[in-house]
This record gives sequence, C-alpha cells and structure tokens, in this order.
Amino acid sequence: MIEQRAAEHAERELHARSDFHRVWLALLLVGAFAAILVLGVIGLPRESAALPAVARHAMEIALPRWGQTEVVSAIIYGARGFDTFGETFLLLAAVVSVVTLSRAREPRHEYVGEASAGQAEQEQLGHKSSEDESSEDEQEHEAREAEEDEEDDDSSDGPADPDRIGLGARAPERARAMSVVVRVGARAAAVVLAVCGIYLATWGYTPGGGFPAGAAVSGVVLLLYAALGHRAVRAAVRPGVLEPIELVGATVIIVVGVLGLVLTGSLFANFLPLAQPQTILAGGVQQIYSFAELIEVATGLTIAIFSLLGMRREWSGDDEDDASEDDTGDAS
Amino acid sequence: MIVVNYVGAVVLFCVGLFGVLARRNLIKIIMGLSVMEAATYLLLVSLAYHGGSTAPVLTQPPHGMTRAQVVHGNVADPVLQNFCLTAIVIGVAVTAVFLTVAVRVGQHYRSMDADDVKALHG
Repeated sequence: MIEQRAAEHAERELHARSDFHRVWLALLLVGAFAAILVLGVIGLPRESAALPAVARHAMEIALPRWGQTEVVSAIIYGARGFDTFGETFLLLAAVVSVVTLSRAREPRHEYVGEASAGQAEQEQLGHKSSEDESSEDEQEHEAREAEEDEEDDDSSDGPADPDRIGLGARAPERARAMSVVVRVGARAAAVVLAVCGIYLATWGYTPGGGFPAGAAVSGVVLLLYAALGHRAVRAAVRPGVLEPIELVGATVIIVVGVLGLVLTGSLFANFLPLAQPQTILAGGVQQIYSFAELIEVATGLTIAIFSLLGMRREWSGDDEDDASEDDTGDAS
Repeated sequence: MIVVNYVGAVVLFCVGLFGVLARRNLIKIIMGLSVMEAATYLLLVSLAYHGGSTAPVLTQPPHGMTRAQVVHGNVADPVLQNFCLTAIVIGVAVTAVFLTVAVRVGQHYRSMDADDVKALHG
C-alpha cells in the first residue's frame, strides 16, 4: 500500500515537473517562431501595394473567357481547377480515413489472427492483475453501463419528444427529439436553408459556389438531427447511402477534367458554349464542376460528422461476441 | 491599418502553437491547431485587401463605375481569397481526422492525456 502511494506520488511529481518544462520550452519555441513570423510580416505587401499581375490577369479573363461575373469562382473552378481537384480528393481521403477509423472492428479474427492473439493476451493480463485493478474495473463497468444507456436511448425507453413530460420533471431529459417549438422551427428553417444552399451553387454568384453551398446543406442535416433526433435522419446519413453519392460527385469532377483535356487540350478547360453571364448556365463547365463540388462537400462533411458522432466504444478487452455485434449494428 | 490584421494573425498563430506545444489534452491540442488554421485565414484575407478596394465581383459595379473600371481598378486580390477557401476545406478535413483519432485514443487508453499514449515507446 505504502509502495503504491509512493509510486503515485513519484508519478505526480514527474507530471508536475514535465508540465513545468513543457510550458517554458513551449514559450521559448513560440517566442522564436513569433520572431520569425514578425520578420516575415514586415516583408509583406501593404495596403498601398499594387494588385499582383496574376490577380489582375484573373480579373481580366473572368468575363471574356469564362463568362463569370464572380471572379473568385472563376478562379477556383477555372484557372485553379487542378488545385481544386486535388483539394477535393484530399477531402475525400479525409472522409475515407474518418470512416475507416470510426467503424467497428471487422470480423477478421480468424483471417489475420489478430483478435484471437489479443484475446489470449488479455486473458493473461486479466489473471495477472485482476486484484489490483479493481478501481479501473469499476470505472470500466460505469463507462459500459453509461454507453449501454446511451444506446438504449435511441431504441427503447424515453418518449419520442419532451412535450409529454410534465414541467419540472427530473433531469436528464431522455426524449429523442426536442420540444414542439424547436421541431417546427427547424422543419421550416431546413427547407429555406436547403433551397438557399443549392441556390448558392446553381447561380454561381457566390465565391466558391459548391464549397459554401455544400457546407450549408450539411448544416441542414445537422439542424434536423439536433431538432428531431437521430431516428429522423438515420436512414439518410448512413455511409452506405451517402458514400456512393459522394463518389458520383468525384466521378463527375474527373470526367469534366478529362473531357477538357481531350476536347481542348488542357485539364478542366471549358468545352461548353458560354451562356449569358448571370444566368444559370453561365460559366460553361464551371457550373458542372461547382455542382459536383456541392455534392462532394455536402455528403463528405455529413459522413464525417455522423461517423464521428456514431463511434462505438472499442474496449481493449472486448470479446468476440461483442465485436460481431458491433459489426451488425447500424453503422451510423 | 492592415498591419493590425497581420499582427493579429501572428498572435493568433502563436496562441495556437503554444496550445499545441504546452497542452497535454488531445482535444486542446486539436483546438490549438484549429486556432493556427484560423490565423492563416486571417492572414490570407488581410493580404488580399488593398486600401479602399472593392470586392472582386463584376455582377453589379459600385456606383458610378463600369465593369471595365472594376476590372482595371482597385479590387481585393481574388487569388488570395481563393487560397483562403482552399485552406478552410483542408482545415476541416484535417480537424475531422484528428478528432476521430482523438476519440479512438480516448476509447483505447481511457484517457485524453497525450502522455498516456505510450504504446509506441521503445
């Protein structure tokens, strides 16, 4: 007992000391870095500097070459089309990473032998330290119970909405949705916001077109989730539904780029006739690119957010049954 | 006084960097990274601004100006605004991946303390 306490004390002291070192070392490094940044900032162009030639060129070609009155969009889907392509696939890679990291364990224990080996190790560890880990087991027990409660919340107990619970009832509120005021407000706002989001991309007046529009559309899904509960959006936000849609967006971007290369000789060049500026078809291929980007960003963000929200616990000591249960459960 | 914006971006960046270096909580480290990203957005948008410039939009020229005057006149730099958009998207992607890793670390080690993540210690 005394030994244990001494060990705890030593560890606490070590932590305190490392905290102290961490702070002064960090201050030193940040100070040095700040000095470098200040030196860099001194050399930056000021307000009175002339517009760089590349920006002036972009201003000049936006209307004649792209038929776009929104110069930022004309650059992002035109002159910098290839950069945007890379950026989009970086977002896609991030979404794939999030989905891979957040999904439950795969039933591969017999194939790789990883889980069975891990289980043997766990059992060994369990025998060795079953006596002195009582506090941690309690902690684990508590956490497991809390998580089971959380999972049940979605399926069984708790009313559908809090309107049936009397005022002054005990917290926490277990209803799956929010009150009638919030639900009606969210339903009304969601329609307006969704239309606004798509309008931002289709008319091409917004800087960035599909990017802000996609963020707005995924915001609508989040709004509905917050107001109506997970059950209302569960069917729509599964990666199984959204991932193919996202890949369709990615395919459209690749097709537009390659068609530009084949038909005009350069990637993402315009091969469509230019319509009257400020109409829905203005900008040639940029409109298609922007709309594909809308799909890509909206689905990508939604998948990433809901994968993160729906992450299941993965205790190191899980048994096989638990793992397979995780797999068959709804991957939300 | 665009210099104020530059200084603000430097300060913001340093605050974020300090958070990343001095904190041990993984969520705070990720917050520090987000603050650093925000500093780059501020710097890029400030760099795009020129004294008295108009927005790089040709939809409706400001009063008494024609489109040609806007094109050749004093406008904010659209290319740098573009970089800012790119930076935002990449920032979102990176933060999403970091958060997922943080949740997994939290589940695996039952701790958000970066010091407890020692599985790869030699």
